[in-house]
Amino acid sequence: MAPLLQSSQPWVEKYRPKQVKDVAHQDEVVRVLTNTLETTNCPHMLFYGPPGTGKTTTALAIAHQLFGPELYKSRVLELNASDDRGINVVRTKIKDFAAVAVGSSHRQGGYPCPPYKIIILDEADSMTEDAQNALRRTMETYSKVTRFFFICNYISRIIEPLASRCAKFRFKPLSEDIMSSRILHISKEEGLNLDVEALSALSSISQGDLRRAITYLQSAARLFGSSISSKDLISVSGVIPQEVVEKLLIACKSGNFDLANKEVNNIVAEGYPVSQMLSQILEVIVEADDISDEQKARICKKLAEADKCLIDGADEYLQLLDVASNMMRALCNMPQEFPYES
Amino acid sequence: MRKRNDLVVLSSDGEDDDCSVSSSNRSYSKPKSRSLIARSNPRGAKKARLSGSRSHLSKESSNADEIRFFCKDFDEVFNGFKVSAGFGGSNTKGLWVDKYKPHSLEELAVHKKKVEEVKVWFEERLRSSKAELSNVLVITGQTGVGKSATIHAIASHLGASVCEWNTPTPIIWQEHLHNSSTGINYTSKLDEFENFVERIRKYGLNLSSSTEESKSPTVLLIDDLPVMNGKVSFQRLQSCLHLLVQSTRIPTTILLTDYIKTDSADHSGRCLEELQLCLENAGACKVAFNPITNNSIKKTLSRICRQEQCNTTAEQIDLIAKVSGGDIRQAITSLQFFCLKPDSMHSLSLRDTTTTYSREKPDEVSSMDDGFPLQFGRDETLSLFHALGKFLHNKRDTENAMALDQDEFPLQQRLLRLPLKMDAPEKILCQAHGQARPIADFLHENVLDFMSEDAIGDAWAVASYLGDADMLLSTFRGMLARYNEAENVLQSAAASVAVRGVLFGNAHPLPSRWHAIRRPKLWQIEQSSLRNKNEMVKRRFNGYSRPSFSDFSVVTMEYTPVFKWLGQGITGGLETHQALTQCNETNDDFDKMSLDDKESESTDDEIEDW
Amino acid sequence: MALLVDKHRPRTLDNLSYHSDLSARLRALAQSGDFPHLLVYGPSGAGKKTRIVATLRELYGPGVEKIKIDSRVFQTTSNRKLEFNIVASVYHLEITPSDVGNYDRVVVQDLLKEVAQTQQVDLGAKQRFKVVVINEADHLTRDAQAALRRTMEKYSPNLRLILLANSTSNIIAPIRSRTLLVRVAAPSEDEICQVLKRVGEKEHFRDVEALNQKIAKDSGRNLRRALLMYEAVHAQNEVVTEKSLVPPPDWEALIAQIADEIIEEHTPARILQVRAKLYDLLTHCIPATTILKTLTWKLIPKIDDELKPDIIRWSAFYEHRIRLGTKVIFHLEAFVAKFMRVLESYLNGIELDFD
Repeated sequence: MAPLLQSSQPWVEKYRPKQVKDVAHQDEVVRVLTNTLETTNCPHMLFYGPPGTGKTTTALAIAHQLFGPELYKSRVLELNASDDRGINVVRTKIKDFAAVAVGSSHRQGGYPCPPYKIIILDEADSMTEDAQNALRRTMETYSKVTRFFFICNYISRIIEPLASRCAKFRFKPLSEDIMSSRILHISKEEGLNLDVEALSALSSISQGDLRRAITYLQSAARLFGSSISSKDLISVSGVIPQEVVEKLLIACKSGNFDLANKEVNNIVAEGYPVSQMLSQILEVIVEADDISDEQKARICKKLAEADKCLIDGADEYLQLLDVASNMMRALCNMPQEFPYES
Repeated sequence: MRKRNDLVVLSSDGEDDDCSVSSSNRSYSKPKSRSLIARSNPRGAKKARLSGSRSHLSKESSNADEIRFFCKDFDEVFNGFKVSAGFGGSNTKGLWVDKYKPHSLEELAVHKKKVEEVKVWFEERLRSSKAELSNVLVITGQTGVGKSATIHAIASHLGASVCEWNTPTPIIWQEHLHNSSTGINYTSKLDEFENFVERIRKYGLNLSSSTEESKSPTVLLIDDLPVMNGKVSFQRLQSCLHLLVQSTRIPTTILLTDYIKTDSADHSGRCLEELQLCLENAGACKVAFNPITNNSIKKTLSRICRQEQCNTTAEQIDLIAKVSGGDIRQAITSLQFFCLKPDSMHSLSLRDTTTTYSREKPDEVSSMDDGFPLQFGRDETLSLFHALGKFLHNKRDTENAMALDQDEFPLQQRLLRLPLKMDAPEKILCQAHGQARPIADFLHENVLDFMSEDAIGDAWAVASYLGDADMLLSTFRGMLARYNEAENVLQSAAASVAVRGVLFGNAHPLPSRWHAIRRPKLWQIEQSSLRNKNEMVKRRFNGYSRPSFSDFSVVTMEYTPVFKWLGQGITGGLETHQALTQCNETNDDFDKMSLDDKESESTDDEIEDW
Repeated sequence: MALLVDKHRPRTLDNLSYHSDLSARLRALAQSGDFPHLLVYGPSGAGKKTRIVATLRELYGPGVEKIKIDSRVFQTTSNRKLEFNIVASVYHLEITPSDVGNYDRVVVQDLLKEVAQTQQVDLGAKQRFKVVVINEADHLTRDAQAALRRTMEKYSPNLRLILLANSTSNIIAPIRSRTLLVRVAAPSEDEICQVLKRVGEKEHFRDVEALNQKIAKDSGRNLRRALLMYEAVHAQNEVVTEKSLVPPPDWEALIAQIADEIIEEHTPARILQVRAKLYDLLTHCIPATTILKTLTWKLIPKIDDELKPDIIRWSAFYEHRIRLGTKVIFHLEAFVAKFMRVLESYLNGIELDFD
């Protein structure tokens, strides 16, 4: 395959920190890991935390710092969810790689090159339980020559025997200013013009996920050129403008069905994805001060039901209208159903 | 017939060759006799009536084979065959089915009216064979309702001889190999039948004409048409029969056995119906035999008991008659087995000379468990239609026998239902071999007819239960293919929900009255919708001069109506629907016919039981 | 004869009549030489396809309009043969995987692999990648979407995907994050009126402003439908006036009739009559969801405000079931029965004890 065009390389890759110490915001993790790197004695590791917080970056950086570019290919195996990771792969590919013996430890080109290999399993929580169990055996057998790095969002989805064999590192969501500084750094490098409003919009729609923020930034840069406003970012992210959500809520509060219906029609015609709408409604409802807990509960219940129906492929318009009419009844303290139906 | 003769010759030739050939002979002659037995022998008796040469030959051949090759197990039964074939009813052994074969019209258990109908038909044909009347009679009915017995009895009553064409024994693989190694071409059953029909058409029955020369009139009996697989052979058979109907000069009877159709999609069932239809179109008369009534069976059974001197109680006979499901052959066989004692049955198979056990120990019988005969009783099959009828009519006791229970487990008034006047719905389903999907479809199609006028609440309840059943049936569609059990559980759960939902939901059933049960129109709709869809999918490529194609739903919903407005003569508008359904109807004609038949059958006898 | 909607379909980005900022962005994208995977979503009749075709033209030049229809045969794992139609030019191809139902994964995988592994034939082509347009991407099964995601990663140098969907709700997150989301909103009624007017001028139709507005309103902000209606009105009337009748599509008229019948009488017998009509609609391949939705639309204005949320609730409920179930008629009818029951008890004002 021909090499990628420079311009089409995702910025997420382009600006991925190459050194553990450059990983943003995860101070404790970085401190411990830097120690490890110095002694080159590293245990099995499990990185967990929300998406876009630097887990994969850290794992890759460690591998690079340990082996350098030359040995990297032969010493490190990366597998993520898009690769086939059924039990058969665990039994063959992973095992084969793990079983290969490596030479003794001697420094090469300034890299420590410890006498083991590293297997990085990204998105490990999407592995089946069977596959994880099979891994456990492999880990024990080849622990002398192989280290495993697990990366996942939800630690609860990793089976206990695996988790207990690893040193666990929790990655926390990035704070807004850390995020902003990274974004600013990238936009300076790429020659983008970002105003303050756009910057804060970006950090709010990406919700502490740096990767998402960078992706949005790149998409916006592609579509709108070097000068990017908050509106552009919102349109690229697929997030629905807050006014639209507010308008629907106001229509519902009015207690007038036809008004709500009109609003729903509008939303669907504008092509806003309803699943996105539901999650934004949820946000607004949960945080609203003027809505009682009971009302919130009623609305949230309906939102959950509708979300499930959408996943099953139900019609967007009917589901949103159902949510809206339900919300209307809840907000206006009408009974949930017409009284004759108990 | 010819074929069979050939076979015999062939086998004697083969023995001269070498061992390997003779062993192959052995292997095919065995299954041949097996198949004779499997047909539970009334046919063995028929052979006695066949005109001379053929019966002689076949007997000889079987005698020759029998001694050397037969398994012990089959000895007894085969002797039965031989006895009935050779020496008539003089021996006390043998299957009662053959022994007590009806010889006169009076002995027939078939309904008098039907017998009369057939008799009149034959009389007319035999009197004036030159008339414009069609010479073919089709008799339909399930197994063991006395179709062939009636023909034989009537023929002997009228003094005519019966010439019979049976489906030849299937050729087994070794036989085929042997045949091809000795250079004999394989002829399929269908080929044979075609040859036979051709001969009949051209020369009449030369067998009888050579020996008996118009002394007695002859009737031709065609039992069990050749099995056909696939469309081509089916069409051949169809055209062959058509020819036969139009040209034969001998009164000919074709027997068609209805298998119980649990599934309307059953291929062979459909074929038979289509054949029947085609025969009728060609001008053949049709007489449908119903299952024999309980009373007739009981009468026959008691007669046999008297003659065999076995002490069976009236209840036992009643039971046997009931479980036979109108199959008199089954009933008599059950009776014979019922009168056997297990250990003597054993000895029966060892020693040929054992006399019928029932004569030795007549008192044993009454001591047997009453439930015992159920074991060999025929499955108590209900037709799907009867089962549906039960569910739809929703018969319940008139007064509440559960008054006492109510105090213990108080139920809301609206949830109360009177006790059902039927077996558990699941049991009925099982008896009717009901599949969840067709059951649900049938119920859906018909249930609204059985609701009282203003019971809209009931209608909704039923509709929602049927919806539930549909959801169950479509859960994990195909995903559970590996987990058969789970699939089965789902199926039966869905059937239960559908049936019980209909029973429960229809809280105000109409008083019983006759309703026709319709075949679900849904199936037809699905087909035609699929056809239309394929049409339109195709059309979206060649119809529009556009550089790309649009979503299917857009085509159906937006383009098609406009084309209609613009009068572009593209089908798919709603008015064309009439024409469309009509063409569907012609396509599905035989389906519909079969349905009508089923209906009319059930109207004949069982309505009042519903 | 080409319909107006096809005859006057804009071919280039410059000719597009509304969402001009979107058109400008698409042009910038096509010229940048850094064309990403696109996920274009928006309601039916908003102009998604038109925009994509115009963008392709911007990418490759007019050669992209020379298309042919290919028929391919795919083999499933169970050895079933699938026939599948492809619209293709030298530079791009267009598929509708939902045509083959549950086998879409096979098609997506095999076809995209094949495309990705063959280099651009035309050496003079402006772009070194081929574009695959996937229609009805929101109808793809999860399996097919997962396969799509892998293909996107693996073959991105030779291949760009453009997914068309009515909504992103049914598209898995990994695909959403790997594509550039482009929302195409339905045109406003005014915008539709302008388009109608322009088309009318080219065809020398009599321009009746009020009629155009009526059509725009009836079309439900669906430009394609508006144009089709516009053509139908002008074809049927010698001289159009404000009062010219805009005929609804036949199926819609039938559904309106069903709605009237349902309101009028609430009995099992009536359900049977309705069933016949529903069958009629299904025979003509009107999607069950559309039937239910349209029926709801027609019913809502006829009932009291108090009842409306309930009806919506049941409509949504049964529509969901239509998706999950196999026999749509069961659920359509259940909705009809439910509606009758709710209305009946509402009208009677009786406090019934039923559920």
